[in-house]
Amino acid sequence: MARFRSNRKKKNVFIKPTVKQPIVDHVTGDKIPKSFVFSRGKLPNSLKQLEMDLRKLMLPHTALKLKEKKRNNLKDFLNIAGPMGVTHFMMLSKTRSSPYLRVARTPQGPTLTFKIDEYSLAVDVARSQVRPRCPKELFRNSPLIVLSGFGTGEQHMKLTTIMFQNIFPAIDINTVKLSSCQRIVLLNYDKETKLIDFRHYSIRLQPVGVSRRLRKFVQNHQAPNLSTLQDVSDFVTKAGYGSESEADDDAATVSLASDIGRVNRASTKSAVKLQEIGPRMKLQLIKIEEGLCSGGVIFSDYGNGGEARNQENQEDEEGDEEDEEGDEED
Amino acid sequence: MALETDLMETKKVPTRRKPRQNKGGKAKKGEKVFRDKEKKARIDKKMQKLFCKRARDYNSDDDDDDDNDELEPEVGKENGGPLGFEEASDANSSGEERENGPDADEEKGDSEDEGYEIQPGITKFTEGCRAFKIAFNKITKKNVSDDPLGPVLSGHKKLVAEKLAEEESERKVKGLAKKEKHSVREQGHVMLENFLGPHEKFLIGVATKGVVKLFNAVSKAQNAQKGLNPSRSKDAKVLGKRRRSAFLSELRKKTSQAAGTSSKGTKSTGAEDDDGPAWAPLRDSYMLTSSKLKNWDKMEDTSVAHDTGGMPPDSSSDED
Repeated sequence: MARFRSNRKKKNVFIKPTVKQPIVDHVTGDKIPKSFVFSRGKLPNSLKQLEMDLRKLMLPHTALKLKEKKRNNLKDFLNIAGPMGVTHFMMLSKTRSSPYLRVARTPQGPTLTFKIDEYSLAVDVARSQVRPRCPKELFRNSPLIVLSGFGTGEQHMKLTTIMFQNIFPAIDINTVKLSSCQRIVLLNYDKETKLIDFRHYSIRLQPVGVSRRLRKFVQNHQAPNLSTLQDVSDFVTKAGYGSESEADDDAATVSLASDIGRVNRASTKSAVKLQEIGPRMKLQLIKIEEGLCSGGVIFSDYGNGGEARNQENQEDEEGDEEDEEGDEED
Repeated sequence: MALETDLMETKKVPTRRKPRQNKGGKAKKGEKVFRDKEKKARIDKKMQKLFCKRARDYNSDDDDDDDNDELEPEVGKENGGPLGFEEASDANSSGEERENGPDADEEKGDSEDEGYEIQPGITKFTEGCRAFKIAFNKITKKNVSDDPLGPVLSGHKKLVAEKLAEEESERKVKGLAKKEKHSVREQGHVMLENFLGPHEKFLIGVATKGVVKLFNAVSKAQNAQKGLNPSRSKDAKVLGKRRRSAFLSELRKKTSQAAGTSSKGTKSTGAEDDDGPAWAPLRDSYMLTSSKLKNWDKMEDTSVAHDTGGMPPDSSSDED
């Protein structure tokens, strides 16, 4: 048994680099970004769930089962992060006023602090759907990220863009397999409200130009019900009803580079269907700090005007810290 | 039963088997009836006396229970006619009364006689019964007020009411506190409707566009290199050239499109961001990021102000 175990361990150790190295090649030389998602202070249950959802979202390059204790401080995580190659921290915290999400690059920052105005869990999203779809295979590959509306020219938006781009491994267009693109994370910045919509979708491809019946027939492997038809040919020729969502936009059709699965062939066109999974958040960028949860404030939503602003921010920080401490005491 | 077996034995004396059996059977039947009567009579008489005696001596509940146990097998039918002295003694003695029931016809006289003989001071059966009946009926028909506040005492009533009110108010306060806590805990947590709002549709549209852009770019890039074998040096060169030129042109197309319409601008930037990280040198922010990162490396030794000089010196003015 001991032998067997040791073999296993070796295997595990061996497999990991084989998965990652080919992706690293074409990139700028960055390692694959890895992340920790953890909480600062005590979180209520729903936020804990949000934390789990975020971890799932960050899969596969994240610690899904990261254990945190009350006495763990930021330094503990930072100490582990170095040897583990963790590049990003996502920290959830809760004050009396609202929950906060901090996204930071390790080991030296910067840190973006978002206020979570609204959030919904993956469970809520699934509950709101008639047919929630969330197979485990989705989480084998890291999601694509789409940032929209971030090109406002403001420096802090640029920084945010960079941060979120680098939080997931880069894609090389020439070598990427489309079958590995199964999820997408969307960040949409609304200029007027200054809120960022955070969404997480699964990507599904469907062949275009085939009637719904045929498609279902091919996908489901089930004998169709022909009792209402006069002839077998009706099954193919009858159009059936088409719902609004069935209407194929040209905008959503794609010709594939290679076959994906049994149904979506390279020769045919496919429609891209997105279905929401995972958490949904409405974020408000509040503050950007230079260091890891410390250091000078690059941007702050609160104040206005150079040094005064900085001072204010520092005060704010102190206030925040006090708040957090108060929460912990509770 | 001892009696029965005795009888059997006396009959057994005659010689033959079969007829004997038959006879025995017949005889048994006949005997049984007779015997039953006899037995009943005997037992009843004996027991009757015993019971009467016991009833007279009756004091505690335990005795009564015992009696009941003994008597129960004997009790066949219930007879309405109760016996006076037992009634008078206690309600608990009803068991005995029952026991006397079946043989009431035979024994009545005796028992009554006995009753009169032994306890002459007690009220007559009929009178006592009626009085008892009336009293019992009164008790049973009496309506006790079913007030949850408890007994009638007014002071107590007030106290209870006060207590209840207090409890209620306490509960209210607790409930409020709980609600508040819950609302703080669930702050920002939003339940979703079952339909997709226009905003959601818009977001899905944006995401779909991004995906489509990426997929198209990928298919273009990968279709171009389909026929070529990257392991051959000649092809590899061609591949390299194609990759660069094709991809650059692809990118330029996007940016030009973006410049065309403002609405497309956001979308295309999204798409650009989408495949941006693969080609850092092509991003607008390439130099910016790298310099920034460099600065962050230096940050430990250099002052903060110097670092901010790298990127947001103009940004600070922008923000304001």
